[in-house]
Amino acid sequence: MKSFASLILIHFFVYCDLSKFKKSTIFMSQDNKLYQKLLKQKDEISRQKKEIIESLEYARLIQTALLPQLSSIRKSLHNNFILYLPKDIISGDFYWISEQEENILFAAVDCTGHGVPGALMSILGITSLNEIVSEADNHKANRILNQLREKIMKSLHQTGRGGESKDGMDIAFCIYNRKTKELQYSGANNPLYYIRQNILYEIKPDKMPIGVSGIEEKSFKNNVVKMKKGDVLYIFTDGFPDQFGGPKEKKFKYKPFKNLLLEIHKKNMKEQKGILESSFSDWKMDFEQVDDVLVIGVRID
Amino acid sequence: MKLTGFRIQNFRSIIDTGWTYLSPDNITGLIGQNESGKTSILEALNSFYTGTISEDILRSDLSLPCVHCIFEIVKVDVEKELNEKILPGGVIDEIKKKEIIFLKRSWAEDITSHIELAEDEILKIYKRFYDKREKEEINIRERIEEAINEHDNAVRTAEKAFFEKEEKHQELEAAREKITQMQKKIKSIKDDKSKEVIKDNLTGAKKYLEECRNNHVAAGKDAEIKVSEARKLSENADLARKSIQAKKKFLINKKELENSYKELQKCQRIFDISYNEKERRASRTQLDSSNETYVRILREYERSKEDAIRKKMVAFKVLSGNSIDEVLNEVKKEKPHIDKYYSLEEAGRKLFNYVPEFIFFEDFLSLLPDRIDLHDIHTENTNIEGYKAARSFLLVSGLDEDFFQQTNNRILKQKIEKLNKEITINFQDYWRQSIGKHNKIKINFELEHYDNTNPDKSGLPYIEFWIKDREERLYPKQRSRGVRWFLSFYLELQAAALAKNGNDIVILIDEPGVSLHARAQEDVLKVFDNIKEKVQIIYTTHSPHLIDLNKLYRLLAVQRAVEEDELSETKIFDAKSLTTASTDTLSPIYSLMGIRLSEQKFIQKKNNIILEDITTFYYMKALTDMKSFEKQVFYLPATGVSNISSLVNMLLGWGIDFLVLTGANKEGDDLKHDLTKHLFANNEDQANKKLIQLDHFKSIEDMFSTIDFKKYILHKRIGIPESNSEYISSNNLSRSILASNFMREVKDSKLKWGDLDEETRDNFSHLFNELNKRLE
Repeated sequence: MKSFASLILIHFFVYCDLSKFKKSTIFMSQDNKLYQKLLKQKDEISRQKKEIIESLEYARLIQTALLPQLSSIRKSLHNNFILYLPKDIISGDFYWISEQEENILFAAVDCTGHGVPGALMSILGITSLNEIVSEADNHKANRILNQLREKIMKSLHQTGRGGESKDGMDIAFCIYNRKTKELQYSGANNPLYYIRQNILYEIKPDKMPIGVSGIEEKSFKNNVVKMKKGDVLYIFTDGFPDQFGGPKEKKFKYKPFKNLLLEIHKKNMKEQKGILESSFSDWKMDFEQVDDVLVIGVRID
Repeated sequence: MKLTGFRIQNFRSIIDTGWTYLSPDNITGLIGQNESGKTSILEALNSFYTGTISEDILRSDLSLPCVHCIFEIVKVDVEKELNEKILPGGVIDEIKKKEIIFLKRSWAEDITSHIELAEDEILKIYKRFYDKREKEEINIRERIEEAINEHDNAVRTAEKAFFEKEEKHQELEAAREKITQMQKKIKSIKDDKSKEVIKDNLTGAKKYLEECRNNHVAAGKDAEIKVSEARKLSENADLARKSIQAKKKFLINKKELENSYKELQKCQRIFDISYNEKERRASRTQLDSSNETYVRILREYERSKEDAIRKKMVAFKVLSGNSIDEVLNEVKKEKPHIDKYYSLEEAGRKLFNYVPEFIFFEDFLSLLPDRIDLHDIHTENTNIEGYKAARSFLLVSGLDEDFFQQTNNRILKQKIEKLNKEITINFQDYWRQSIGKHNKIKINFELEHYDNTNPDKSGLPYIEFWIKDREERLYPKQRSRGVRWFLSFYLELQAAALAKNGNDIVILIDEPGVSLHARAQEDVLKVFDNIKEKVQIIYTTHSPHLIDLNKLYRLLAVQRAVEEDELSETKIFDAKSLTTASTDTLSPIYSLMGIRLSEQKFIQKKNNIILEDITTFYYMKALTDMKSFEKQVFYLPATGVSNISSLVNMLLGWGIDFLVLTGANKEGDDLKHDLTKHLFANNEDQANKKLIQLDHFKSIEDMFSTIDFKKYILHKRIGIPESNSEYISSNNLSRSILASNFMREVKDSKLKWGDLDEETRDNFSHLFNELNKRLE
């Protein structure tokens, strides 16, 4: 009887073990399937990411090719720097320059959004500016912005009615006449700073974008300043002053930005660029970069 | 909704007007010679609204009339209004996108008509929709017919099998009979030899019997299978047959409905044209009876239609493999799908309810009477002389039945006196004719009661009208026909505008004011201008006094394709192509220009500037006023650059000094070259003093900054990267209308020089400086 009972017990344990084994085998095979599926998905995501990055890298090449060559900028504006820090691989900010006889036309532009949408807008902006400048001969900064706005509105089918794209761009646009040293500035939301004898002067922009907005289109203002040798002018997008960081995790803001420019304006342009870059990096710390950053500085010879 | 354009086909002398657009400021004039087809256009538009035409409208080539009208959607939410059914996908989007609807009325040979939604894109959508539905219908029909055929074939096969079974049965019986006979024979035969032979035969016969039995059993089984197969198919076939029968019934009802509708329309026409109360009563009874019949047949038609659709759906779904119970449940819940969609005609009829009312004034025959009984007004006795004019008078004065219910005679008199004052003042705003300097006419009315000299009406009230002239008080009939006509015209138009009190009336007027003095005709235009915010007006005229030279965009020129041939078709030229109309057609305009010329208002001895066209004239005139240009200038618009040479020669002939202003384009260059060569003997310096070309602007519109062009000329926010003139041309806009509206805004002092932006001001200042240098 005893041996019979022990036989049953043995059978019971063997059976239990066997069923456990069977269960764990089943779980293992299920886990394995899930694992395989996850691996497959991971591979797929990695492949897609790689493809996207490759596409974006290629897009960057195209965007870079559309931007003016630094050598040609140096040729037109001898003493300058361009601090260009895109947030993503491709950027919604762009700089633009063109030389027309004694006039040098240049701009710092911030398109709606960053990354791919911003970059697409920037291409529209660059080609439109090139077209406008090539078609006209008598340039006025505000009229170029007026025309640019028409092109953008037409391209994006903007009519001022509700429910349509409100995309556009902010811009600081300058025309500098090398002979007369006269500077024309016209701005859509982006100002111009120039420093003369340690004083920073600000020319405020018109509070409207290049594109449709809540108010009906009116002409941009054409501001004219007679520049003097040694004056340093700065145009920029809002990426630098709007960057979050610092000890209080706040925006950098415009006043400190002005002070920084006042501090460094006497240094050579290369040094200025370096200080701005390191100041930005120090301020940003581990925060994510909020937007594309573009600052252009030009010293009048 | 607002009428913006039309197209008339096969209507009297009109073969096809093509799309013709009305003036955007609600007043459109049709000019042209007699018999050119102007009145036909008004009649066609009126017929579009009423749906009625007479036999003589039909063309001899038997082509049937058709009138299309375009309406701008104002104050109507089309999607909301068409909510009982649905429109095929894309139709609403198309209407919303264009913000207009096209309605077309077509007449059949029996002059009945129907209205439908019409527009190329919408018709394409409907075609795609119907094509798809037709394919589905064909598929369903084929499936239903197939089921019936399958069943018929199965029945035939079963019958055949049944006959075969019968044959086998007969064979079996014959074999049995044969054996019985043989067995009987064996018993009866004594001869053994013969018996043996028969026995042998019997064995063979038994074998055959067995064979027959097997065959019979096999044929029986086969017949059973075939019958059962046929039975299975009979349910489906039954559904299919029911569906076909329902459709036949529906088609019969449809035909009946069509006949009934024609009868109803006929009765309606008889009712519409009935002259008096007696006729109206008789035709009313007929109309009611016919309407009742129509409604009964309509209900029957709708029932049979729904039944046909339901049965078709059931048959098709069951034939597609669904169980009949499920299908029946499903179909009960679902409404037959054909009813969900508006047809073009249904949608057209529905939207037609929102189009403006068209009122056709052929002539103002109803002149204001001397008196009218209140009873006739209240009972709407239209046969009474001057009823319409008196009715309009009361409506314009704001008088209704209650007004005369006032029992206090003193209060009533006071009220009447006050009203008399008001209505006179309003009328005097438009009627500027007077005898003497301050002697303007006044209209009065009074409430009187018949005395004993009229025993039949003694004590009954009547209204008496007076037209006062200084102290003289005369009955309307004692005044000239011109005064009475204008008064009736004024009253009727004002009454029409008041009655609707919204921008939903189109007034069609044939030759207004033919009997009026020139100045009074100009007053007619003033009345039009006054009511144009409330109503749209389309009128025909020969008179230059019914044309505003500053608003030529209001005109449509009507003429025969071959001018001398009164049987040739009617053609219409709009404002943009007025210059291509014949000189005779445009004679009212030329007469008007001649009149103005004789008034010497715009040509002087010095400082005349010849401009290339009326558009340039409008802009230059407006900008000169805005800028308060210090010198007095007289602008002379030519009708195109090519006509400037002859104008220059004419002014030279008259010894009048002038400058010429053209655009910086090829025509301007050619003109300059031509004038320099022929007029100034190749002396460029002299030529340059007289000829000015706009500084690199091809057209005067390009002198406006794009921002100002959009804001003050186009009134639109839209991106325009091209030049303003390119935009106008590529969007097929009327230069003269835009320019004329701009000038009107300037005249209304809505726009000042300082409102323009710096670019526009720079451009025009530069031009004015150039002019200033050359003018005295």
